[in-house]
Amino acid sequence: MKRVLPVWVRPRAVLVAGIGAAVLALLPFFHSNRYWHNQITETMLAVVAALAWNWLGGYLGQVSFGHAAMFGLGGFVAARFQASLGLPMIPAWIVAGIVAGLYALVWGHPTLRLRGPYFSIATIGVGEATRLICTYWVWLTGGSSGMSLPVQIQLKYQLYWYALALALLALAASYALRRSPLGLSLLAIKSDVDAAGDVGVSSVRLQDLVLFISGMTMGICGGFYASYYSFIEPGDMFGFSRSISFVLMGVIGGIGTIAGPAVGALIYVLLRNALLASYPQLYLGLYGLLLILVILFEPLGLTGLFLRVFHRKRPDLGVTGVAAEDSAAPATGVTPAPAEQRGAK
Amino acid sequence: MTAILRAEGLSKRFGGLKANDNVTLALEERQILGLIGPNGAGKTTCFSMLAGSIPPSAGRVFLGEQEITGLPAFRVARAGVVRTHQIVRPFANLTLMENCTVAAAQCSGRDDAGSRELAREMLQFVGLEKRRNEYPGGLTLAGRKKLEMARALSCSPKALLLDEVIAGVNPVEARDMVTLIRRIRDEKGISILMIEHVMAAVMSLCEHVVVLDAGKLIAAGAPKEIVQNPAVVEAYLGKKHA
Amino acid sequence: MGQVIDLAVSAILLAGLYATMAYGLGLIYGVLRIVNLNHGGMIMVGAYAGWWLHFKYGIDPYLSLIPVSAAAFVLGVLVYRVLVRRLPRGAAGGVQSLLLLFGVWLVLRNAAYLLFTGNDQTIRTAYSTRAISLAGAFLSVNRVAVFGLALVVLFALHMLLTRTYLGKAIRAVAQNPDSCTLVGVPVERIYALTFGLGTALAALAGLLAATLFPFSPEFGATELLKSFVVVVLGGLGSVAGTAIAALILATVEVFAILALPSYLTASVGFVLLVLVLVIRPGGLFGQRVLG
Repeated sequence: MKRVLPVWVRPRAVLVAGIGAAVLALLPFFHSNRYWHNQITETMLAVVAALAWNWLGGYLGQVSFGHAAMFGLGGFVAARFQASLGLPMIPAWIVAGIVAGLYALVWGHPTLRLRGPYFSIATIGVGEATRLICTYWVWLTGGSSGMSLPVQIQLKYQLYWYALALALLALAASYALRRSPLGLSLLAIKSDVDAAGDVGVSSVRLQDLVLFISGMTMGICGGFYASYYSFIEPGDMFGFSRSISFVLMGVIGGIGTIAGPAVGALIYVLLRNALLASYPQLYLGLYGLLLILVILFEPLGLTGLFLRVFHRKRPDLGVTGVAAEDSAAPATGVTPAPAEQRGAK
Repeated sequence: MTAILRAEGLSKRFGGLKANDNVTLALEERQILGLIGPNGAGKTTCFSMLAGSIPPSAGRVFLGEQEITGLPAFRVARAGVVRTHQIVRPFANLTLMENCTVAAAQCSGRDDAGSRELAREMLQFVGLEKRRNEYPGGLTLAGRKKLEMARALSCSPKALLLDEVIAGVNPVEARDMVTLIRRIRDEKGISILMIEHVMAAVMSLCEHVVVLDAGKLIAAGAPKEIVQNPAVVEAYLGKKHA
Repeated sequence: MGQVIDLAVSAILLAGLYATMAYGLGLIYGVLRIVNLNHGGMIMVGAYAGWWLHFKYGIDPYLSLIPVSAAAFVLGVLVYRVLVRRLPRGAAGGVQSLLLLFGVWLVLRNAAYLLFTGNDQTIRTAYSTRAISLAGAFLSVNRVAVFGLALVVLFALHMLLTRTYLGKAIRAVAQNPDSCTLVGVPVERIYALTFGLGTALAALAGLLAATLFPFSPEFGATELLKSFVVVVLGGLGSVAGTAIAALILATVEVFAILALPSYLTASVGFVLLVLVLVIRPGGLFGQRVLG
């Protein structure tokens, strides 16, 4: 029987993802709970954003504290193109994604020469600078008071399936970026960018690629967000808090893993909404605490915990810079077990 | 006969310091060429320029007929010149197998399965095949040096640049290394340029030796002549002993 | 012309604050090779500490400098001992220490929100609105006081690092921690003390800044970035270098008002940071030595 899928795709993973997607797609026909319908939509959006952040922060090991820059840019480009230039929603999202991806290249390409902490610091600067400049670019953002999109009845309800599709795409991309031969090159770059070049890896090009698709995906998320809420304002879209949320989702879920950030996103949205009513700011402090605990005790976050509990092999993802001791690894056993992907939905 | 790898007038300035001054050398096909000299002579800098890790300030580098001066390292590696590092730099978060697979995939143009096959072959060649699913952290220094060699070999190079692979390992391992290097040339037909401090290895492996001192090429010839060359002795030991 | 002098004086006064603010960050990096992402958090804590002491007990902020700095020092040592010490040092610890200290910052931020609400606060004393006349220019009392205090602190730091045993030990550890263990310098203790000192300096600078600007729990992010600009430009450790770099930053910022609309002047610092980091790649923070 001829293999349709590339050799590095585990059929079990495709099956799990397919079933999960089908369940979620059909779910709304079996209930009429708007609240949960929206919760799931928001969660899936957060999943996409967290995964996109992780491609740069986890796979390449370059932690960005400024990803809201692309999120916001995408959001406003999409909104502006729809509101003022009459572009339909999906093309607007695509344009937004491309603009955001290109912007990521503009600031990211030169900045990626910096390693580790220095890159991260620069991203704080990028995020804040983008916020300030865009806040006062009134044509794009409508100034600090923000911008509205014409409200379409039923759009918010339908966006559920768009979010599901995006989440599936993002998950597939995460899987491909990791398990394919390309993924190996990315890990090599993460480990030692110069040595990678010495054995033929075109580090600069691959880093640019990841930058672009990470930024582009963020931009599309921003566009989605704009369509979903019909109102966006720069302080929120470009805010440091938003950039922080991506870091938190990625790191606490499991930085560098395939679906860990999705888990992080799930927990994040649930916790935030649960605490929002009673203690609006508490979730941030809670997350700070979680972050500290993760860094000190389980660098692979919730995913790492899960793997420990189930005694699975913990993949060495170069998080701690120290190789894993477990040497009973299967031939290309760098990927976390597919079981963990089930937890993502 | 065109040399496999040729440097013409290679120079490198770092600010005011001239690390390499007008170095010309040629690595012939199937040759093992030794590059020796006292510490700080500029040997690794020369390597770096040959392999594309750093661009030369002046001079040219040729791979056969093709000029590769100033090309980025990954292009040079894909063209067929691969180096190892003085301080080993394995990919700590990849298994031995994956270390070599990456190299094979990028340089050899083979598909996924073919790359892994090549990687496995190279690991077997250096004797690490049984440990291919372990991580570099679990290897001894000699093991990691062999890993780097296997990784470099996975690129199917025409010229292999070995940077002090023998220094720092015990005598038994050193003998192993010497045999391995000779096999690389004999069985795979790869030309080797090696920086080395361990003179015994240089004497037994290299047909030809060039000597660098303070960035300049001061001597070239067969190993036996080189050790007797007064300029070389002076470079290593000072004027008194010449 | 009068405006130029005004701006120049403003820049000088501001530079004093920036230098003090940046020094703590540079100190921690120079000695421990750790980027203290909690720097912004401690600046915020210093601001609130001064505000609270003034609000609750009527203590003049400049008088509470010493107790606040001392408390921050203790907090810094604690953070080091309990948290930072567990991380691997060097390249492996790089991003992790960043995230860890970032977590601390988040916790502090949240604590501030809970305790003080998210509203802007200011410290208003009897003399806040007064100005003194100096060489024809009117200078706000607070700005002059901050500048003066900054000078005192920087001078004291310089003395500490060059004239005392502790200072020499710190510089030695910055250069070569392994050799220090060999000659009996208690490296771990120096690390803890340095971290405490850097933290105290951040809080101190935060308190000073609070007498000049309004602040909220969000305070500190901008200041962190500015501190980076100063540290990267000025190199590590040398008080003179830090001072000059601070002057450059302050001057660019202040005179940007002439060229840019007011809202963009805040972004000058960020753009400068990104530019500086990108144009001086590789050994940015260098292997420079304290002295």
